[in-house]
Amino acid sequence: MTDIDLEDLREELLQCRRCGICRNAVYEAKGFDGICPIWRNTSGFEPSFMRGKIQIALALLDGTLERTSENAEAIYQCTLCGNCTQICGAEFHPAHVLETVRAVLEDIPNESRDRIAQGIQNMDNPYNEQLAMKRAWTADLEFEVPSAGRTLYFAGCTADLRSQEIAMNTARILKAAGENFFVMENEPCCGSVLLRTGKYDDAETNASKVAKIIESTGAERIVVSCAGCMKTLKNDFSEKFDIEIPEIVHIVEYAAKLIKEGRLNIKGYSEPVIVTYHDPCHIGRELDIYEAPREILKAIPGVVFVEMTPNRDAAICCGAGGGLRSYAPELSKKIAADRLSAVTRTGAKYLVSACPFCETNFKSGLDLVDSDIMTLDIVDLLASTKKE
Amino acid sequence: MNSDIVDKLTTIVGIENISTREDVLLTYASSASMAKMPIKPGAVIRPKNVDEVKEILRIANAYKINVTVRSGGTSLQGEVIPHPDGLVIEMLRFNEITLFEDLRSVRVGAGVTYGELDKFLSQHGLWVPVTPESALGCTIAGNTAVNGAGPGSSLFGCTGDLILGLEVVLPISEVIQTGTEASPYAPGPFLRYAFGVDLTGLFIGSLGSLGVITSVSLKVFKRMEYFYYNTYGFETHEAAERFLIELKNWDVNAVFASIYEGPVLELFMEMLGDEYGIPPMEWPHRTVSMTIGRTREDMMQSDAVKANELCEELGGKILGIEELPKGEWDGRLWTFVRACYAHGWHWRTLYHHQTPMNSHRSVEEISKVMDKYGFLGHTAGFLTDHSSTNMYPHLYFDPVDSEDERKIVDAHDELAVTLFKTGAVPFKLAPFWKDKMDGTETYMALLEKLKNAIDPNDIMNKGVLGGI
Repeated sequence: MTDIDLEDLREELLQCRRCGICRNAVYEAKGFDGICPIWRNTSGFEPSFMRGKIQIALALLDGTLERTSENAEAIYQCTLCGNCTQICGAEFHPAHVLETVRAVLEDIPNESRDRIAQGIQNMDNPYNEQLAMKRAWTADLEFEVPSAGRTLYFAGCTADLRSQEIAMNTARILKAAGENFFVMENEPCCGSVLLRTGKYDDAETNASKVAKIIESTGAERIVVSCAGCMKTLKNDFSEKFDIEIPEIVHIVEYAAKLIKEGRLNIKGYSEPVIVTYHDPCHIGRELDIYEAPREILKAIPGVVFVEMTPNRDAAICCGAGGGLRSYAPELSKKIAADRLSAVTRTGAKYLVSACPFCETNFKSGLDLVDSDIMTLDIVDLLASTKKE
Repeated sequence: MNSDIVDKLTTIVGIENISTREDVLLTYASSASMAKMPIKPGAVIRPKNVDEVKEILRIANAYKINVTVRSGGTSLQGEVIPHPDGLVIEMLRFNEITLFEDLRSVRVGAGVTYGELDKFLSQHGLWVPVTPESALGCTIAGNTAVNGAGPGSSLFGCTGDLILGLEVVLPISEVIQTGTEASPYAPGPFLRYAFGVDLTGLFIGSLGSLGVITSVSLKVFKRMEYFYYNTYGFETHEAAERFLIELKNWDVNAVFASIYEGPVLELFMEMLGDEYGIPPMEWPHRTVSMTIGRTREDMMQSDAVKANELCEELGGKILGIEELPKGEWDGRLWTFVRACYAHGWHWRTLYHHQTPMNSHRSVEEISKVMDKYGFLGHTAGFLTDHSSTNMYPHLYFDPVDSEDERKIVDAHDELAVTLFKTGAVPFKLAPFWKDKMDGTETYMALLEKLKNAIDPNDIMNKGVLGGI
């Protein structure tokens, strides 16, 4: 890693004075009800939460701890959700720093990280599927989706290949709004997971490629439905790589605006339906998008919106982020199940989120809990209640 | 650690709850304390009940293993730094809370934090009104072991003053319950001074040297709803200190009253002024920042009037800046921990108590060592209990500059000696007070005898309690 100053990184890590409130702070008045999802869902030794991770990072960097997969487990066993940052009194961003540590420690073997990176490099997606499959969902729509236009819908690998309903429903919302949108024939991966897992150089190369492809389409605006794509394209491209791309909006911002302007006809439910919302870390803590999804839900007739505890900037992660779903799938699933218990306490029938990754992980988490909660993306709910 | 011993310990808690991995041990080598170098233990174990703790201590005794008990790992004076190849017992799995509403008390397991307890009690309109600065990370049991204090202490005293009884596993694997709960017929915790001798007090502030505290029973109070915030400026330390005493004399319910030297407050406000919404200003020679709390509004108003009268009678000025005490009080679960870490330095501390009229002596002594050694630091204090001021000096150093850290170690050593001679007393008998407390030899000798009697193999936190 040529761009990372190791002395600066060490100084950042030493901002941690080991107070330990990043473990399980419960502070009702400020909305915190626990902090670290890893600590809550593992046996709970120190390396599970950020204080321990930072001590291990320092030791791995200065060589007092041998760079082995086992010793680096704590570094990768983290969703980078950033809830520790919210509570931290020191002036640094622990989750961002840990991401940088992963980049510096790229030489430590990590099979899931390398497999994902290879997939993105060779197939333009972390799932190792054919690039052509990414646009396959458009064939199931009741209308044609052009491959050129002014507004690019960048569906992202997970909606393209795993949660196609999200891609289809986002397209339906855009269509209903009369948006002149298109979907690329060769949509690349945004590279979010490369960055999160420490493949910094690969992410930079990928970002240049993505920017060039987007530029070649002539798109003036990009709409995304994935929180990870949003954070990567909007923040990381410019902040980390100095790469500029056209204006980018998340579908929740876009749809909330449509509703405010009266441009989306919502049928809603004839009977009250209790719905709660899970804040995805990438658009919540990272981008402060909290109100738009709530405005959407509250605008749907028949929806009784209830908040989960904790929520907004103190929300507990779904467990999928930071490469954890590939690195430790069972733990990732357990975290989702834990978060689902917060949904149960609200009495909600629907758990809605705004990230295909969250939704996919919650579906996995349902395997571990006895619950009739239905998990879906906000575009699924919105599209299903839209008047034709 | 010897693998046979580890196998025996594993049988007690299961493989999920013991670790000898290098990465894990490394994280238990240190705590929030920046006052001691890290030392790696040989194993870390996480029991979930008293029987498991008993069994663990039986093995530790049999093999003469040094034991360090730890819960939140938030102590600041080297209290939970293990011995090389020692055993760390982490208590965070003890998470039960039992409310005795009619007894006005609650029993908490050793893993329950102040934040968790506050959330639980607030559902019942109750609280434990003292919150240490590490309230979100530290446990009630851990804070009992270090006899902490914090917001709320100005009225209710230290953590120890709220405690009605303890359950402790002694080093010899016997379990003792103190207070009324020692009786199998008592309905629960309602009186600490049952059965004569205050055995509860023996373990408060014992820094994990006399046994493993597994549960703490403590007083709960009706949650106050009426608060009055104000700041009072004084041009002499005598007037400011007298103000604190008069507040007590006149039963003004100051739940938290801090006393700050002007430049120290300016330093704090550089860090937290924006957050509190207080613009930069020149603070008086001494400022008292006070929150009055009451369960009844008329009493709160009456106290506020009296406090303002007392200030003016002493020649002080009512500053009317309520954001400072409000920020301190409303954010009491995290304000101080944030203030301690917002600036970027590492620091050593030397907690102690002074009489209110003598708190300026601590300011003078720390100023002297700052001048002599050339470092940044401060001290401030808050009124505590009947007639005391809890002082918390911070001596800052740059963690990447070993020379700087060495300087602080020397200054810290010197300060312990000079502070003690001003009449200050430590309430956490951290190891660095060893040999610095002239005239306490008999007291320390008795403490050592007690430690030897209770812990004949000297396995519990050796060398920590005043060096014993």
